[in-house]
Amino acid sequence: MDAATTTRLKGLFETKLNGAMRLYLDTCARCGVCVEACHVYASMPQLRYSAVGRAEVIRKIFKRYFKLQGRIAPWLGEVLPMDDPTMAAVYDAAWSCTGCRRCMTWCPFGIDTQMLMSIAKLLLIGADKEPKLLTMLSDMSIAKGEGVEETKAAFDEAVMDLAPEIEELWPAAPDRPTISVAAQGADVLYVALAGKHSIVPAAAIMNAAGEKWTLSRFEAVNFAAFLGDGKKMQIIARRIHDEAIRLRVKEVVIVECGTAFRVMKYMTGYHPFTVSAFVELIARYVREGRIHLDRSRFTGKLTYHDPCQIARNGGVIEEPRLVIRHLADDFVELQPNREKNWCCGGGGGFVALGEKDFRMSSSRVKAEQMKASGASVICTACENCHTQLTDLNAHYGLGMKVESLSHLAAKALVRP
Amino acid sequence: MPSVSDAVSAASQAGGQAAAQAPAAVSSASQAVASAGPLSTVYYFIMVPMVYLAILALVVGVVFRIVTILRSPRQPYPLTLYPAARLPVFAAFRDAFGMRQVREHKPMFWVFLVIFHVSFVLLILAHLDIIPALRMLPPESKHMLGAGGVGVALTLSVGYFILRRFRSPVREISTPGDYLLLLLILFLFLLGDTISWSNSWGSHGFVMTKKDFALYFASLASFTFADPRAVLHGSHYHFVVLHVLLANLFFIVLPFTKIVHAFFTIPINLLRRT
Repeated sequence: MDAATTTRLKGLFETKLNGAMRLYLDTCARCGVCVEACHVYASMPQLRYSAVGRAEVIRKIFKRYFKLQGRIAPWLGEVLPMDDPTMAAVYDAAWSCTGCRRCMTWCPFGIDTQMLMSIAKLLLIGADKEPKLLTMLSDMSIAKGEGVEETKAAFDEAVMDLAPEIEELWPAAPDRPTISVAAQGADVLYVALAGKHSIVPAAAIMNAAGEKWTLSRFEAVNFAAFLGDGKKMQIIARRIHDEAIRLRVKEVVIVECGTAFRVMKYMTGYHPFTVSAFVELIARYVREGRIHLDRSRFTGKLTYHDPCQIARNGGVIEEPRLVIRHLADDFVELQPNREKNWCCGGGGGFVALGEKDFRMSSSRVKAEQMKASGASVICTACENCHTQLTDLNAHYGLGMKVESLSHLAAKALVRP
Repeated sequence: MPSVSDAVSAASQAGGQAAAQAPAAVSSASQAVASAGPLSTVYYFIMVPMVYLAILALVVGVVFRIVTILRSPRQPYPLTLYPAARLPVFAAFRDAFGMRQVREHKPMFWVFLVIFHVSFVLLILAHLDIIPALRMLPPESKHMLGAGGVGVALTLSVGYFILRRFRSPVREISTPGDYLLLLLILFLFLLGDTISWSNSWGSHGFVMTKKDFALYFASLASFTFADPRAVLHGSHYHFVVLHVLLANLFFIVLPFTKIVHAFFTIPINLLRRT
């Protein structure tokens, strides 16, 4: 690695050094309490797959370039120079971490590994060693935002074709359209994913509740958040923000996608509208009696997987349980659950990247947890988790059924 | 049958008498050490100027670290872990002082951590107790606060921390600095133990008593720059000098090591609680 690259990477590192990051870099006592928190370590016990193992790669670069200690006595902290072997270790650290922040609940100081890995991801982008697929997908999202005027006719037409399927689940009120795209006068802007499975059940539920809603022209997923490119992440989120402002909606509701929800609600500054996860909306409808669910529609033993970015990192923990109480009689919690739940192993862009071998071997502990629940159906409220749980179910021969909570709710809709 | 306390008070009286009866012998011994040349200069440096320098380094270092963090850009979005605490500041204090994450996942480690940190606070109090004006124990007491127990609790817990570092997986994540820091405080504590145990429970007592140390502290506090050898007599002086040397080193390295967690634990925990 030439000197110019090292200087550039050092500059990138410096841009991440805010107060919180300095606290995270300076405070670790290497006590090792976090080690067993990581599902990757629990499934493949190698220290490079633990929170401290990952963080130390970044911390040792930090000491080398930003600390006096690294200059006077580099051996004290075993500092790392920014060279090719180090960058390989940086890649290994960042791209074996789903950013689930489970380790943060283990750490006595609460060190945020996802934050430290955001340095790693930025260094990789700077060194042109990031996963190129995510860069491509991020750029596509941005391009789509810029070219929305050209593509909107085709998009709107395709969406309108979904109306019969939605009507089949729940007929819309006579004075409301079954589905509309970026329509003025709506209270709720629903942001879906590419794929009708993320639109049809949600539309039926919102129609059943008599919601004044409209569909966003953009997909919720934020590939740049996975990639660790903060600037692109903001641009991608901005498309939705601007659309919501233009339509003057009161609320932006994010499809079952953990990262999209956390990015929109917490990581993109102030919005003059509320941001909710779709499961929060379902829970609100149930609580206010705007929709009614029939428990008898569901047979089997149900369990729920808390998506990391929705529950531990998003604060939506009891809402799905409220919905489930109206959905199924036989519900069992995964152990552990809520903020202590094991990450599914599909987050942080892993599902988007493919990475199936790693996803399966790094989540053995998740498969064991699913199996131990004794449930026949596992539901969740995140697209990535859903894909990962489906893959785990097949790979480990668990014989379960994987569902999304919104689908279960849509199928259980009844008139009071 | 004489009780332990009788024996102890007899021993201390004997020590006191010896000191009172033979001041000339002691002072000639101290002169012998003082005239030993370069070593006495080094001893003086460690016992007086270096103490000031170390405390100055500690204060400047810690202030520098805190200012660096305060002057860094603010984290642009919240880093909260949910369920969110109703009283974030209270929760951060609870995290810091209760260490419940450790209690839950590593109970044995937690026990030693609690012993260590509580004892460390007592250790600071015990050293303040030497200063006559701040005496917490009766003025005539020859004991350090805890009568040597505080030091033993610290030494044992540091011993546990060191042994723990030799075991997987902590072994693999440890850096040389982690071991050196533990060794530094281990020897610092062992020397302290030697002094406090000899004074409290040694059959002949330590040559220097708590009252002598009070004179040394008073001299430091009033910046007399007098040679402590004038008040700290006898051949046990080496132990005291080594103890002070390691304490000075501890103060100097503190701001630049993970010991800064003493100042950062609450703000860092606040990040996940707010």
